[in-house]
Amino acid sequence: MADPGVIWGSTFFLVTLNPRIWAGLGVGLAMGMSGIGAAWGFAIIGTSMLGASVRVPRISSKHLISIIFCEAVAIFGIISGLVILSRIGNNVVEPPTPTDFKSSYILFASGVTAGICGIVSGLSVGVVGSGCALADAMNGSLFVKLLVIEIFASALALFGLISAMLLTTKASVDM
Amino acid sequence: MHLLSALLATVSQTCPVYAPFFGAMGVVSGLSFTVVGAGYGTAKSSVGISSMGVMKPELVMKAIIPVIFAGALSVYGLIIAVIITGNLGNADYPLKKSFLDLGAGLTVGLCGMAAGMAIGVIGDAGVRGFGQQPKLYVGMVLVLIFAEALGLFGLIIALLLANKQDTDCTVAAPA
Repeated sequence: MADPGVIWGSTFFLVTLNPRIWAGLGVGLAMGMSGIGAAWGFAIIGTSMLGASVRVPRISSKHLISIIFCEAVAIFGIISGLVILSRIGNNVVEPPTPTDFKSSYILFASGVTAGICGIVSGLSVGVVGSGCALADAMNGSLFVKLLVIEIFASALALFGLISAMLLTTKASVDM
Repeated sequence: MHLLSALLATVSQTCPVYAPFFGAMGVVSGLSFTVVGAGYGTAKSSVGISSMGVMKPELVMKAIIPVIFAGALSVYGLIIAVIITGNLGNADYPLKKSFLDLGAGLTVGLCGMAAGMAIGVIGDAGVRGFGQQPKLYVGMVLVLIFAEALGLFGLIIALLLANKQDTDCTVAAPA
């Protein structure tokens, strides 16, 4: 039998786990971490928005747009999760082939990428939206100008989605 | 252990089964860390812009420049992620190439994160000063350019690493 090659430390761990563990983790982390980011953004924007609207009632309806930007982060997470999930097929071939291992690592990386970008983007949209609500309460002309900054913050989750979708195309179709 | 040995005997030592894991982690680190930097830069400078915009709303559109600098960092990460994804699509993916891809991702990621944090702090302080003294604009942009250069250096080295072509699985390891 040929020499199986160098197996040291973590690489032993990489090849003895069933590859579908990595794929499943990818789906879960993509959706879960994006949800955490979106929720964190909701919390930050919500406190500022509702506190500001005590004195200035127009804030509570106008700044629902910021809330929708946070929701978009979670929706990017769902889309990433679904794209990764579509690569996990029903043909379970035991033992796993090398292509299965490669696909599983790629799906895991897609999920973690989309997830971390979702958390950061949700936090960022939250902070920007909070500042926007408080500034709008004091000066009404600032709303549209500060909303431009929120678009930049929301684009970070979009980059995560794009990268996850592109990476998933390198995994085999029916894992 | 029989399964493991049989599995690993199907590929040579130069292109082991676990090689794509490190390349995929390169994609994750490249995009995720730069997005952390971009998110921090966007959020921190938006706090300054919101505070400054209450007194000087006409200067807000000029003051959005730190957010644009921060957004460019996430584009650097996306570039490297796309290149490494292309490398992962190759049928033969040697272990040494996967380590180069991991290095490329870490380079652009950590440099981008550092640059993003610098841009955040510079943008926050810079726009607050710009609100009180409009002649400060050129100085703020100069400092922002120096900070952006950090991310650019990371991108240059990461491009050199990721663009090394290597799909040779036939190199025999020393006995």
